[in-house]
Amino acid sequence: MKAKDIIKRVLLLEIIQGMALTLKTMFTKAVTRQYPEEPRAAMPGFRGLHALSKDEEGVMKCVGCGLCAAVCPSQCIKIFTAQGLNHEKVVERYEIDTLKCLFCAYCVEACPYGAIALTEHYEYSDYSKESFYMDKDKLLENWDKYMSGDKGNEYFKRFWKPMSIDFNTSEEQAVFKGWDNNK
Amino acid sequence: MTKTKDALRQRELTINMGPQHPATHGVLRLVLEIDGETVIKCTPYVGYLHRGTEKLCENRTYLSAMPLMDRLDYISSMANDVGYCVAVERLLGIEPPERAKFIRTMMCEMTRISSHILWLGTHALDIGAMTVFLYSFREREWIMDLFEMVCGARLTVSFPRIGGIRNDVSQEFLDSLYKFAEEFPSRIIEYETLIDQNRIWLQRTKGIGVISAEEAVNWGFTGPTLRGSGVDYDVRKYMPYDAYEQVDFDVPVGKEGDVYDRYRCRMEEMRQSVRIIKQCIEKLPKGPIMTPDAPKFTLPPKDKVLKDMEAMIHHFVMLTKGPLTAPVGEIYSSTEVPKGELGFYIVSDGSGRPYRMRLRSPSFVHVSALPRLCVGSLVADVIANIGTIDVVLGECDR
Repeated sequence: MKAKDIIKRVLLLEIIQGMALTLKTMFTKAVTRQYPEEPRAAMPGFRGLHALSKDEEGVMKCVGCGLCAAVCPSQCIKIFTAQGLNHEKVVERYEIDTLKCLFCAYCVEACPYGAIALTEHYEYSDYSKESFYMDKDKLLENWDKYMSGDKGNEYFKRFWKPMSIDFNTSEEQAVFKGWDNNK
Repeated sequence: MTKTKDALRQRELTINMGPQHPATHGVLRLVLEIDGETVIKCTPYVGYLHRGTEKLCENRTYLSAMPLMDRLDYISSMANDVGYCVAVERLLGIEPPERAKFIRTMMCEMTRISSHILWLGTHALDIGAMTVFLYSFREREWIMDLFEMVCGARLTVSFPRIGGIRNDVSQEFLDSLYKFAEEFPSRIIEYETLIDQNRIWLQRTKGIGVISAEEAVNWGFTGPTLRGSGVDYDVRKYMPYDAYEQVDFDVPVGKEGDVYDRYRCRMEEMRQSVRIIKQCIEKLPKGPIMTPDAPKFTLPPKDKVLKDMEAMIHHFVMLTKGPLTAPVGEIYSSTEVPKGELGFYIVSDGSGRPYRMRLRSPSFVHVSALPRLCVGSLVADVIANIGTIDVVLGECDR
């Protein structure tokens, strides 16, 4: 063992270095968040609670084709259709068991009409199981609560995929534009 | 008299470690026979997290089987998804476009960093270094936020698609990822300041769980666990997939094959991952993100579905029955996930679903070698050994 190593060992150098780092970090800004008091806003496109979308007149967009139920990996969507007065197809019941859902957003991708969306709302814990079983009215209510206005349109523009644009080159695609150290 | 003698008789003690033990990284159960403090026999019992992923895949189309892959190795879900997509793409004979390849590679390396950070934090916590855990979770949170920014989910991402990716990345994401890549090496130095030369860390890791290169190969080790023994086998280098051919990186190897060398390997791997991420961002080309020349295997464009008859029929068939024109045959494809080599063996009978899917998961192979690493060592070193093979039981039990 060299003299340098012995000095290092006796003076506990590596321990002191570690302690210095810990001490230094004490004076930096905290990275933790006091959660219930300081809620965290989800990023756009977050896959949270489900909602059934409405068109401009406030009518449900869903036509009951059943594609979302067919593609759902956990089979948590149930759709029951019936015949209306003018022999048209009406969605009688549309139910999602939120506790079974695994939030892959395949239903959003499958829907040809853009009738189902995953909102950015994620704080919906409750004491009873019934409150997680979403029926048609609840789902439509979710849309008004969390996706109303321009937000819904923006959502489908960005996350209702794939679009033709994905198969061609888009001009405004993100690329590396140089790095400025002071940023 | 004889009774007292019997009671005082020295014999081996059988103890149960796990499945509810914080240091067994999930639900691994080890039955240890110990003589004093020395382990003389170690038997791992797995299967507590068995969900039947392989069987479940047989009843799902290629598309809707992917969320199951997120849940194999739940701390590196993006790499599993990419591995699955690469396997199915090879089976179907399609190729994703360049831009998608680069984005996937970027995501894989982000996963590698997040997985290795989590490993570092928990492994250090297991063997007595508390502070690193807090530091490493700070950076992991950063990566999770980046994942959320790009695909809307933090852990179970389901981001890649067969023949491309789900959605394009934004300029904001690219900038923040580059910022992360610029800053992260200084954070690795912080971790190293805390434990790299620390005498307790060295005593707990040096010369523990030694396995020679030959033996490691024979046991079927892959990933950093193998490279710690000095074998420079890396699927990314030897059988490149996605954009790994077009980026420049080194494969760090250890020498001794002990816990410390495997730790060094993983630390270096994080630096290489940062290098790959930077190159991917710099080289990211413009172009489509879904392959345009495989209309039979990808979903048709959404804006055409209600206007074009063929697209509509195709949309319905793809989602309900899967790609019905899938070729008959079988394929084995492997990718490098943070834990090692993740292999998919898919048998296709031409229906839209896999006839049989077998997963070769690195954790399962590594757990099987635990007795080899643990026998003869102290009970406390069993914890170090479980940590060093970086086992995730979700992937091991499948």
